[in-house]
Amino acid sequence: MNTEVIDFSKMEKGDSLWDKAWYKFKRDNMGKTGAIIVLIYFIIALGVWFGLWGTAWSDTSDLLQADPSWKHLIGTNQIGQDVLTRVIYSTKVAFEVGLVVAVLSTILGAILGSMSGYFSGTWVDSLVLWFMGVLDSIPFYLFVAAVAFALKDNPFAMHIAMVSTFWTGTARVIRGEVIKLKEQEFVEAARSIGVRENKIIFKHIMPNTSHILLVQGTIAFVAAIKSEVILSFLGMGVKDGVSWGLMISESTQDIQAGHFNNFIASSLFLFVLVIAFNMFSDSMQDALDPKKVS
Amino acid sequence: MDILKFALRKLIGGIPLILGVTLIAFILMVYFGPDLTYEKLGKNPTAQEIADIRHELGYDQPFAKRYGDYLKQLITLDFGNAEIRDAKVSTILKETMPVSLHLIIPGFILGNIIAIALALFAAYHRGSWIDKFIMTSSVVGMSISFLIVIIVFQLVFSSSFGLNLFPVRGWEVYNANGNIMWGEYFRYVAVPTMSTVFVALGYNTRFYRAVLVEEMTKDHVRTARAFGHKPASLLFKSVLKNAMVPITTRIMFSIPLVVVSGSLLIESYFGIPGVGKVTFDAIIAGDQNILKAIVGLTAVLFVIVLMFTDILYRVFDPRVELK
Amino acid sequence: MKIIIKLSLTLLFCFTLVACNNSEPIESNATPAQKENKKYPGKKVYRHSLDGAPTTLDPVRSATIYTSFVVKNVFDTLYTYKYLKRPYEMKPNLAIAMPDVSEDGLVYTIKIKKGVEFQDDEAFANGKGREVHASDFVYSLQRHFDKKFKSQGAWLFSGRIVGLDEWKKQGSDYSKTIEGLQALDDYTIQIKLTAPYPQLVYTLAMGYSGIIPREAVEFYGSEFGSNPVGSGPFILKSFNQEKVVLFKNPKFRKEPLNLAFEGYEESLHEFTEIKSLEGKSPPFIDVMEVNFIKETSSRWNSFTKGNEIQYTTVPKEKSSSVIMTKKPLTLYPQIVDNYHHTFLVESGFVYSGFDMLNPTFGNNGDPVHDAKNKALRCAIRKSFNWDQRNRAFYFNLGTVFPGVITPSVMEFNPNADQESIILDIEGSKELLEKAGWTTQNLPVLEYHTSGRVSSRMFFEQFRGFLKKIGYPVNKVKYKPYPSFGSFNQALKSGKTPFFTLAWSLDYPDAENTLQLFYGPNKSPGSNSFNYVNPKFDTLFRQAKVLQPSPERTKIYQKLNKMVIDDCVIISGLSRNRIYLWHKDVIMFPDRDVLGGAFARYVDVKN
Repeated sequence: MNTEVIDFSKMEKGDSLWDKAWYKFKRDNMGKTGAIIVLIYFIIALGVWFGLWGTAWSDTSDLLQADPSWKHLIGTNQIGQDVLTRVIYSTKVAFEVGLVVAVLSTILGAILGSMSGYFSGTWVDSLVLWFMGVLDSIPFYLFVAAVAFALKDNPFAMHIAMVSTFWTGTARVIRGEVIKLKEQEFVEAARSIGVRENKIIFKHIMPNTSHILLVQGTIAFVAAIKSEVILSFLGMGVKDGVSWGLMISESTQDIQAGHFNNFIASSLFLFVLVIAFNMFSDSMQDALDPKKVS
Repeated sequence: MDILKFALRKLIGGIPLILGVTLIAFILMVYFGPDLTYEKLGKNPTAQEIADIRHELGYDQPFAKRYGDYLKQLITLDFGNAEIRDAKVSTILKETMPVSLHLIIPGFILGNIIAIALALFAAYHRGSWIDKFIMTSSVVGMSISFLIVIIVFQLVFSSSFGLNLFPVRGWEVYNANGNIMWGEYFRYVAVPTMSTVFVALGYNTRFYRAVLVEEMTKDHVRTARAFGHKPASLLFKSVLKNAMVPITTRIMFSIPLVVVSGSLLIESYFGIPGVGKVTFDAIIAGDQNILKAIVGLTAVLFVIVLMFTDILYRVFDPRVELK
Repeated sequence: MKIIIKLSLTLLFCFTLVACNNSEPIESNATPAQKENKKYPGKKVYRHSLDGAPTTLDPVRSATIYTSFVVKNVFDTLYTYKYLKRPYEMKPNLAIAMPDVSEDGLVYTIKIKKGVEFQDDEAFANGKGREVHASDFVYSLQRHFDKKFKSQGAWLFSGRIVGLDEWKKQGSDYSKTIEGLQALDDYTIQIKLTAPYPQLVYTLAMGYSGIIPREAVEFYGSEFGSNPVGSGPFILKSFNQEKVVLFKNPKFRKEPLNLAFEGYEESLHEFTEIKSLEGKSPPFIDVMEVNFIKETSSRWNSFTKGNEIQYTTVPKEKSSSVIMTKKPLTLYPQIVDNYHHTFLVESGFVYSGFDMLNPTFGNNGDPVHDAKNKALRCAIRKSFNWDQRNRAFYFNLGTVFPGVITPSVMEFNPNADQESIILDIEGSKELLEKAGWTTQNLPVLEYHTSGRVSSRMFFEQFRGFLKKIGYPVNKVKYKPYPSFGSFNQALKSGKTPFFTLAWSLDYPDAENTLQLFYGPNKSPGSNSFNYVNPKFDTLFRQAKVLQPSPERTKIYQKLNKMVIDDCVIISGLSRNRIYLWHKDVIMFPDRDVLGGAFARYVDVKN
């Protein structure tokens, strides 16, 4: 079996987990590539937010299913819309969905997971575990469909459904970690000087799980973007605007007719971001793993 | 005897879970769900006809009563009639669940076995190019949409424009007596299985590798290695065995979702009359009876699985108490 | 670990072995269809496909063409349409002849054939199907007025048959006789109408009028919809989400095929080889599988494979690989070489409309407001680019026509004034300006539709149309519904100021589309436009009791013009469908009006 060889002479004794992680990360080429790609996408999304590009995504024209040309670099779709503009706008939509779901589900998971872990064995823990079990045992697409129906007109129906199911993953991991942490000395010390419990949880314990939260957040982000594809296909996804999922759904028929632009562009953009994010997430996980740094 | 008592206690402990699931499912699907009144009426309905249908569908009854009825249905396993087809829900489920099982099992087993094998291989050669290659492929596999995989595979393996090796759609695996014809079974299950395995492989391999690596870096393994134990035997004896706990957990927990909900997309595209297609149709049509049945049964199965998982833990790790 | 790898590889190897074993040898005399015949050895099988699935097989709920397809094959109807004659012409099915109608058009006397028996089924005593009697027809129609059976077709007969509505109000007691619906004897039916109803005969050919034995309904109860028992040419063998399997009914009456009577014309039908069936009695096949395949790629792959389904409509995205030239419509040689084809205009149409009761685009009684809104509606209609819509979504094969008299009915006038379907951006802008509409005061247009992916593309194109007349993009909003059911509900509750729909004709008579504007039919009826125009209603009632005639056609045209002039609807397009079938199948298929009733004449070559 092989083991990683890391030159620890460069690190100093007092370095925190984050410093050591950054050091490791810098040397991980795949992770760096991933991070750079994600950054590029983020800049694209920002540009759309500020109206710099991608705003004409809904413009139709008479040039239906056109091949790539100078006017339309990736051609047009079935109703004459420019594929490139749409694919760029979808980046913003993807980040919106991904960020909203990732942040909210991570926060929710962190809070409930910490409480459950700290009070493990009591009714608080049982309640949260029960709640997690309930949500986990409802098949995901059924749940989203039900939420979509229940919140008919709400444009955030999909986001709500995703957050409601994704938080359980984070919560479980955090709970496990908190159970371990609360046995540690710094917690005992805090308690002995009379720090109140919720302060212990939120100010002392939770920050020590931040590396886990970061990783979980990235996982949720990717899961959100990927779920959106299937949800849009089923008609339950993004309502106003366009997303890669919608573009892929639109184009599944086009590829039968031999028009691949729409399909390839949207699938590729999605694919590259997902891979980049996965690589980034993986190397972050590796970098932040305290066991590998000791 | 101990195990039986343990099992019973776990089952009873699972009741709040079942209640919770059914309540939430009920609220979402039935209470807020789609109003099927106009689906069932003809082109020019009268006010009386509308009122009749609403009464029939139970829309004019109080919440508690409707929820109570749902629980009763779950216990008696009688969910009434389905909307998507004029038959009892129980009849439809009885016909379609075995089909879904037959469809999913090869992919499920293969997907996990191949993933564990790949994960072992990758973990063994941790850090080398083999490991990186397997991991990158996994990430790639994880990043391709299931939908695309299905469409492409059907085109490549089954259609006359591709290799034309397998049927495009259908499930003619039973002969006149209702017995399964294994040759035909292989032909029809091949492409769906390949699609499932392709998609699941990425996720599974990554997970198993992570678990294995975690085990491998544990102190007792490093110690054994320092003492000169051969790496291969270590891999199997210590690492794999101890990793079986999280591995089992994962496999067990994916069962209810796989069994009861089937695979929506696969059954739709390959024309396989299983539970997944029924669920898919029910979601689109808003068939509450079927959705209630499926969610309820998934919850029950989930609880049973939880119970078995805990028992299995004991088998793999004697330190775990049957508390 | 090595063991695991070896095991997996062996498994994979076996897989491929088995798969390869099953591929066809190069030389073989059996047709592809026959080689797949492992399931029905020695029988003639025909594999049909439908682009949707029925949810029930009960005639009383035969609202979709999918249910109707199966119903028309398992059950008998009094009348049906001739196999090959177009435009469609009626002919007797279970009835002996066209009905005997009294002078005032109120009394119909219909005699049915003797010796026709229901299929054998355990619902009957000794499992043997008994003879079909006139009382069975009466029972079948009565079921539409028994709320126990949740009929979807009652509207066809509501208020038209003497005593039927009262019978329902009094509790649907089957022991009571209804004055307007009686079996005079075992083989004679008498229907008394409240007013002349020329479309009655059409309704007697629809799936809704399938003839049902009471024993089966009582025996199967709520599961009758999956266990249909009739006297049609086929018997149901199995029914699930994927398909229906029908077996030939050995007891079906022998009626030799008379091709001249059915409308056979050498120039039109010679390629189908239907001539070989002259004088033979249908059904000619032993087994018919009706596969429900909504996913177009899946259906196309299955059709082109050769040993699966033998019939399909050409999905739109395949159009460019199938169609060589559009005018005249010709197909590529490799398609023509391998398959038979025909193309038909659908008997329905797609359109968008305004809700006149909603003051956003409709009326509120104030003449100034109403006139201003009328200008707005007409302006929106002028901005609609039918050409672009036709090209984008219908491969430019759709037939665009003005108003609501569709190309599939006799009263269609190909020379009608085309103004309402011509793109006129300048005219539209002029109308808006004159009426005082500006980008500030234009109302928000909510586009209501069911939320499938294709609906969204329709919307985005429509928004593009409106942009050209100056409608601000952020004032055109997409309002999708999670399912057609919820959209339908909103439609019928008056919550949709602007909507897009499709309508399929129930029978080949323009009355079926004109009734969409008849005042009394307003929501929750089929008049989703909530259009109430007393002049229209009076004229409509006049035409309703007339038999097809030049006089009636003139009235229809007038009604059509009223609807067009008031700019209530943006209409319309009828889709052209190309039907393809394998060359070993002898048939001339129809999807809409004749529907499933053609299936009894299908034959498969050996």
